[in-house]
Order: sequence, then C-alpha cells, then structure tokens
Amino acid sequence: MNFPWFKRIGIFFIPATIAGWIILVAGIAFAIYSFIDIDSRSHSVSDTLMNFVFMCLIIGAVYSLIAYATSRVKWK
Amino acid sequence: METQDFEKKLSEMTKPEMPQLKHENMLANAIINARDKSVVSWWWLSVPVFIILMLMMKSTFMPVTTLISNMHELESSQKYMSLIFFLISPVVLIIINVASIRKIYLLSGSPKSFHFLGSAWFNILIISVSILILIIYSL
Repeated sequence: MNFPWFKRIGIFFIPATIAGWIILVAGIAFAIYSFIDIDSRSHSVSDTLMNFVFMCLIIGAVYSLIAYATSRVKWK
Repeated sequence: METQDFEKKLSEMTKPEMPQLKHENMLANAIINARDKSVVSWWWLSVPVFIILMLMMKSTFMPVTTLISNMHELESSQKYMSLIFFLISPVVLIIINVASIRKIYLLSGSPKSFHFLGSAWFNILIISVSILILIIYSL
C-alpha cells in the first residue's frame, strides 16, 4: 500500500492517494447524513447550523487525526 | 616506489565532506512533525472553543445566565462530553505540544535565546488556548 495517504497544506490535510480520497469522501458523506439528521430534528435554522457546525468540527478532528497518523508512515 | 605512490595518494586525498548533516535532517523533521501535531491539536481544540463561544452567545442573549453558569449546566447535563473536551483533550494537547517544543529545543542545541520558538509559535498558541480552556472549566 502506498504511503503517505495525505499531505498537509496549511491547516488542512489533502489526500495524496486513493485511500486518502476514500476517507475524505466518507467524511463528507457522513457530514451530509448528519446535516439531514440534525435538520429533521431541529426547530430553527440557527439550531440546525449550530449543531451541524459542531458535528463538522468533530468530523474534522477525527479526519485530521487519521490523516496525521497515515501521513507519518514512510514510503516502502 | 610503493612509498612514493602512497605519498602521492595521500596528497591527493581530501577531507571527507558531508553536504548535509544528519542532525539538520532531524531538526527539520522535528519542526515538520511539530507543525503537523499543532494542526491536529487545532482541530481538536476547535470543538471546546466552539462550545465556549456558543455558551458566551447564550449568556449574551440570556442576561440572567453567565458563561460560568452555562458551563456548569453543560457539565451536569453532558458529564462525559465535557470531561473529554474540557479536561482530557486540553491536557493531552498541552503534553504533546510541550514535548514537540522540547524536542526542537534539544535538537537546536539547547540555545539560551528564544529564537527557536519562532518555528513553534503555533504550538505555543495551542498551549495557551488549552490553558485558557482549563481555567474556564475549573471556574
């Protein structure tokens, strides 16, 4: 398997391989699912946005941790 | 004859040169690693910072409440979440970033001036914000 999966540009980890892109797409898909789920249960636009931003930050934190772990592995 | 050849070879010999020191590579890797760690730390720190900003907004729009009272309310309703994001996470991030700065300091040759901190300013910022979060949580 080719490593590293991600390369860091600023505060973002950009995918460098197919595995990296799969993780990014999975994260975006989960964010969209979360938005639909939160929107169905919330009472106002601000309620939706506040909870969605919170969820996005958690997804971003988990994504950055995975990206950091897989960008540390050297090419073999 | 052999002695002359040897002397000739000896005169032609030059000092072995290393274009790049291993120590320089180690320092460069330590700085890159510290930056990567600070970016991951920033993402993990953004969650409690966002919660604090939301609680500040709540205390602004509800004058009866304060940031501290809202914090206590959150602490009682979301015990484990508040413990993870306001205590465990900042403490872990402080330890990680201090270790990164210490590594850069040691690889820089333990300098007496603080110029080496220029390459680790984001780590220092993360440590400062983490301490601030811990103070707010402990109030």
